[in-house]
Amino acid sequence: MAIPFEALLPYAVIVTFFGISGAGLLHVQRIQNGGKKGRRGVDRWDSVHLVMQRDRRLTGFLRGQTDKAAAPEGFEFNNAWRVEKRFS
Amino acid sequence: MASREARFHKQVLIDTTPLPDHIPKVKEIGASSAPLMSASFFIGARCRAYNDDYMQCKTEAHGTGEVDCMREGRKVTRCAASVIDDINKHCLQQFRAHWQCLEDNNQQMWNCRTAERPFNKCVFDNLKLEKVIPGTPPNVVPVHQRRKQIFADNDQSKDLVFPTTKAKTADTKATA
Repeated sequence: MAIPFEALLPYAVIVTFFGISGAGLLHVQRIQNGGKKGRRGVDRWDSVHLVMQRDRRLTGFLRGQTDKAAAPEGFEFNNAWRVEKRFS
Repeated sequence: MASREARFHKQVLIDTTPLPDHIPKVKEIGASSAPLMSASFFIGARCRAYNDDYMQCKTEAHGTGEVDCMREGRKVTRCAASVIDDINKHCLQQFRAHWQCLEDNNQQMWNCRTAERPFNKCVFDNLKLEKVIPGTPPNVVPVHQRRKQIFADNDQSKDLVFPTTKAKTADTKATA
């Protein structure tokens, strides 16, 4: 008993549209990361406290990278101290 | 009006006061995370003594190490900067290939062995710095030199390049 192809059309539509939205989201993620793949498994030390914030201070962009030996002018003065939350 | 960034608000304080003049100045390292990750083993190879010295100083300072060990800390910074500088002078192409691969692969070393091997060879030939993974047992091939890779996101088995061994065999053939 053959299945008529009209029965499979909805599935084709579902798969196509999921595919389109998935590819679109991937593209948006790459744009957000400066054309690179996104980071994963990133902990607070990497993203919030030190590593990527230092990249941002050096390059102006969270995913920016530079391989210069010496930091740019004023780099030692733009380090932020995190302020304690106010007691209330 | 808001053309400049706020220096002090409820979340951060950016202190722009320079260090007092009696503290010698040292340029901070300009390399960001992926280049530092890529160069880390060579920094360790050249600067191990300075790094150990700094850590020992901090351990023995009992909590005031950030102030008391600034002399040792400057040596650590200068040494690491010298390694980055030398790598940029001699192996810039391989260095960039490696750290750009790392940056595109979540900064995981095992996904970039193909870019790492020429880089390791170049640094060893020019700077005489060898990548040694601390704590590797002596009877085991280090993970970056294994001929077979079990896991990587990108299939790297088809272009496993071993420039060091290949160059060696070529040399022996040439001499023989």
